[in-house]
Amino acid sequence: MRNALRAEFLKTRTTRTTAALIGLAAALTALIATIEAATAGSGSGMAIPSLATAAGLRDALTSTGFALLVAAVLGITSACGEFRLKTATDTYLDQPDRSRVLAAKAIVAAAAGLVIGLAATATATGIALGFAAAKGYPLALPAGSIVRFAAGAVVGSALLAAAGVGAGALIRHQVAAIITVFTWAFVIELIIGGTAGTAGAFLPYTAAATMAGVASGGGMPQVPRGVDPLPFAAATGVLFGVAVLLSAVAALTTARRDIS
Amino acid sequence: MRIGQETDGENGGRDERLGSVTSLGDEDVAVIEVSQLIKRFGAVTAVDELSFEIGSGVVTGFLGPNGAGKTTTLRMLLGLVRPTSGQAMIWGKRYAELGSRRPKVGALLEASGVHPGRTVRDHLRVRCAALGLPRSRVDAALEAAGMSKLAARRAGNLSLGERQRLGLAGALLGDPEVLILDEPGNGLDPAGVSWLRGFLRQLAAEGRTVLVSSHMLAEVAQTADEVIVIDGGRLISHAPVRQLLAGAREVVVVRTPKAVELREALEAEGASVQLIGADRLEIGGPTLEQVATLAAARRLPVFEIGRQAGSLEEAFLQVTSAAGRP
Repeated sequence: MRNALRAEFLKTRTTRTTAALIGLAAALTALIATIEAATAGSGSGMAIPSLATAAGLRDALTSTGFALLVAAVLGITSACGEFRLKTATDTYLDQPDRSRVLAAKAIVAAAAGLVIGLAATATATGIALGFAAAKGYPLALPAGSIVRFAAGAVVGSALLAAAGVGAGALIRHQVAAIITVFTWAFVIELIIGGTAGTAGAFLPYTAAATMAGVASGGGMPQVPRGVDPLPFAAATGVLFGVAVLLSAVAALTTARRDIS
Repeated sequence: MRIGQETDGENGGRDERLGSVTSLGDEDVAVIEVSQLIKRFGAVTAVDELSFEIGSGVVTGFLGPNGAGKTTTLRMLLGLVRPTSGQAMIWGKRYAELGSRRPKVGALLEASGVHPGRTVRDHLRVRCAALGLPRSRVDAALEAAGMSKLAARRAGNLSLGERQRLGLAGALLGDPEVLILDEPGNGLDPAGVSWLRGFLRQLAAEGRTVLVSSHMLAEVAQTADEVIVIDGGRLISHAPVRQLLAGAREVVVVRTPKAVELREALEAEGASVQLIGADRLEIGGPTLEQVATLAAARRLPVFEIGRQAGSLEEAFLQVTSAAGRP
């Protein structure tokens, strides 16, 4: 397992993809957080409440929803890239235990997802608190809540990246896998969450978003309305379970498939 | 079918090389053993009850027309494709079961399989890490494949031939005793082909067991001890190169300004004739004397006439057409 991990870490470090995705996550978060913070309390369009309120500050702090999806894309790229670039042949020649390779990929993607979460939450927190301070508002949320949202974004990104590896290994086609994940987060979870109520809280993107404190603010994608968020630990457990389940199914199917 | 060491003795160049083979292990034990191997993709049978053995230190050319099942066989041997039935073993084990001996099997299957944004050195570092090899092997492999000067170049900027060399460098990372190469000459320019010929000779001289699939028959003829020919997934021939060449028919080559007329006359006598260029004929069947006599009888001028020994290409075409392929 050590060799597989070393190889996967090297793969992540020796291309620009990971850095580009971290940059993309930070840029998207900065864009959304800036728009939200700049228009907060104006009452126009999708504007969030004033940053002087707990709800407004929370919306701005948790504009990390896209970053969570970027983390999932990173996991997908890690798995599907092997087939898109035809590197899977050498990967499985050097490490014939395919389950081990997938496990190493999931662990390394989780580590990279963690960095994406850190970059996104640092960006959102800096912008939200900066705007609030510039307007002379007192801190409308306790420090503990701010730390919890940050931790949720970091852990959620890590687990979604690991789940992305499983999804990518199952679907194999990179574009199809990314479209599937976006469709799942933007459409399917909203539909299921809107109709199934409580069950919606157990869906993976919703669980990750609620961990990061995403409510129903202007930052998309949103958590379905009417869903009661799971407690932090329960949401972490759900996301971890999804990542493990997807990876296990992917390992089973990958072991049987021909690499040609 | 086992022919293993039948090839030594007569080929002076090989004796020395085979002499060094003893360091690699027991020569009587098959290094590569394919037994009753079958692979079906739906209704298509890609490999059909294929069996052969390759002994230690033997360089074997793996030949067959496009779609013959060569790549599928090599991928089954390396654990990438699951056989429908039968076995493909290296040192008596499946590839995935080789454990710490796995790096001693080097393979080149997909030279284009590199991340375009990764440098040549980093590509090999990744493979070294996965194989559990020290980083020092990267420089050794780069040097062996003549890639040292390109170490810092991104793989996306390599030519097809350079990628092929990178693939060969990857195959050499573990200083392998067994090398399995699938069409290593693909995409190489004439200079690259010349380099590959030297490279294969060097591998042979070092006593490594090499299984190389190739359509570059001249290269195989100059390097291999034996040849396996498959077609339609089935074994057509497994023989020493010299035996296959001996079976290839000799042809008579004639240069004449009346090539078309002489061709018609020869074909009327049942010869197989190929027009090569405007004034040259390659004739299979009759002897040189019979061709000369016929040309004289028809008053057709002949400027040049001679015998040409059968090539591996000819032998290959003979065995595949005898197996029912046009």
